[in-house]
Amino acid sequence: MNALRIENMNFSLNEVVSLDKIKKNFSYRMTHLEKSGKNKVLVERSILENVNFQLGLGETMCIGGPSGQGKSLLLRILAGLEAPNSGNLYYFGEHIPREKHTALQIASRQVGMVFQNGALISNLSVRNNVALPLRYHKRGTEAEIAERVNMALDLMRVREEEDKFPFMLSIGMQKRVAIARAWVMDPRLLLMDEPTAGLDNYNRRNLLPLIDNMRTLFKTSIIIVTHDLMMAQELGCKICFLENRTLTEPHYFDYWLHSKELFAQQFFRDLRNRGENI
Amino acid sequence: MKKSELTLIGKIFEKGGNAFLQTTPGKLFALFVNSLVSLFDDNRNLRTDLRNVMMQTFFTGVEVFPVLFIVATLFGSVVIVEVISIMSKMGFGSVVGSVLSAVIIRELGPIFTAFLIAGRSGSALTTMIGGMQINSEIDALSSMGVNPVRFLVMPALFGGSIAVFMMNIWFSVCAIGGGFLVGKGAVLFAGQVMNVQFTWDFLFSSILQALSVTDFIMLVIKPLVFGSIIVLNACYQGFCVKRDIRNLPKATSRSVIYSFLYIVIADAFFAALYLVEYLGELNKII
Repeated sequence: MNALRIENMNFSLNEVVSLDKIKKNFSYRMTHLEKSGKNKVLVERSILENVNFQLGLGETMCIGGPSGQGKSLLLRILAGLEAPNSGNLYYFGEHIPREKHTALQIASRQVGMVFQNGALISNLSVRNNVALPLRYHKRGTEAEIAERVNMALDLMRVREEEDKFPFMLSIGMQKRVAIARAWVMDPRLLLMDEPTAGLDNYNRRNLLPLIDNMRTLFKTSIIIVTHDLMMAQELGCKICFLENRTLTEPHYFDYWLHSKELFAQQFFRDLRNRGENI
Repeated sequence: MKKSELTLIGKIFEKGGNAFLQTTPGKLFALFVNSLVSLFDDNRNLRTDLRNVMMQTFFTGVEVFPVLFIVATLFGSVVIVEVISIMSKMGFGSVVGSVLSAVIIRELGPIFTAFLIAGRSGSALTTMIGGMQINSEIDALSSMGVNPVRFLVMPALFGGSIAVFMMNIWFSVCAIGGGFLVGKGAVLFAGQVMNVQFTWDFLFSSILQALSVTDFIMLVIKPLVFGSIIVLNACYQGFCVKRDIRNLPKATSRSVIYSFLYIVIADAFFAALYLVEYLGELNKII
């Protein structure tokens, strides 16, 4: 059984665009076009096409690719925050039809998500943020919840900040609290959006063992959307690229490093230009 | 039932219902129904719900308490002094209570209270939810399996309605009490001009006599409806912000303006109910 299987998934967005813009930009791949006012058309712009993907139980996968290709969108679809236009999605072997593809339904299948900005509830303290899903889903008595929260805060090394509010925390700490909040619900599949973005080397180095712990100790399947493919190498997981609206086959870091694919070469060239030692 | 099996009336209802749900009032109604339905979902927790509702009541009502006190007292003073001076000039001093009950308790009290709460708490609620949308906090709630309608709208709906109800009573008390003191001063000052009996017993008893059963029912229903309108509209406008911060100030002003509009429309509806009651009484007399 796979943690996640995607078959022929497509996603498109409706946009109102001026006719001039379409004439100038032929890169729009439109599946539907409709007049909408003067010189404006309603365009159904294809973002993801024919996406196929599999993730085994306890496996970790990184998804890379240039900005604006729809990596975060793909993660939002997997979390149920957006619904695909077509295709089949299976979570732990169970098919989720389109009408049931909502965040609440998918969360009930023990799928958690860590947002790029942490997305901590701003009027709750760190402790209450982490305890929120446990309290809402009535996962034990208040004492049991407190014990679980303490464990999560210790694991992510943010116990000392438990009474602070999100605005008092650095970005790195907010991310660690967000991971603690996702972990506390014991997810079987965890979706992480740019967990290392905006972190300095020290915080990044601290974060990676935490992700690794979740994978090795708790057998959590993890999908990480990131530009930081060195992380994939350090975690020893496979990488997929979102290229030309679809996902490539997953391969290890070294495969992509020596790949003849243009997008991969371009990607690693950019990494080298940024000063990464590859 | 399949579409083809629907009768003509059924089809009309289906089309009309779908069209209504596409409009803003339709969406507000859907949000209202959703928040009521969310009361019965599997995650209900009476203790937490009560605590959240009390917090919302405090947030919506108690913090507007001092402003409401000042506005109600000044408003009551102005209305009572004006009513006394005009009525006494025209020789209708005995109907002062009826006019005051109609103006303060029946009409302007609930409207003023609702306006103040829409301006203060409704806008704050929109800003809070809009900010949560921008910050992806609403998405984060959903991805944790926490229903945002249950977590945010339901407590605000109950708390807001209770707060408007309580503040409406507070407004009437302040307006009549404060108005009486100022009115008493005015009568003492211009006693010769105003030919009107103006004691607390007279004012209180004449207001009580003027109040009908419908007034007491409306005293409960009106604030609850106005409170629901304020909260639902504020939450809806907040949810509409999506992830663009430029929409936040627009949504906040829409929240206040549309709340005013919906409250006035609802009040007109209640006035129509009074008219129906009045016509019924007239029929009995004839």
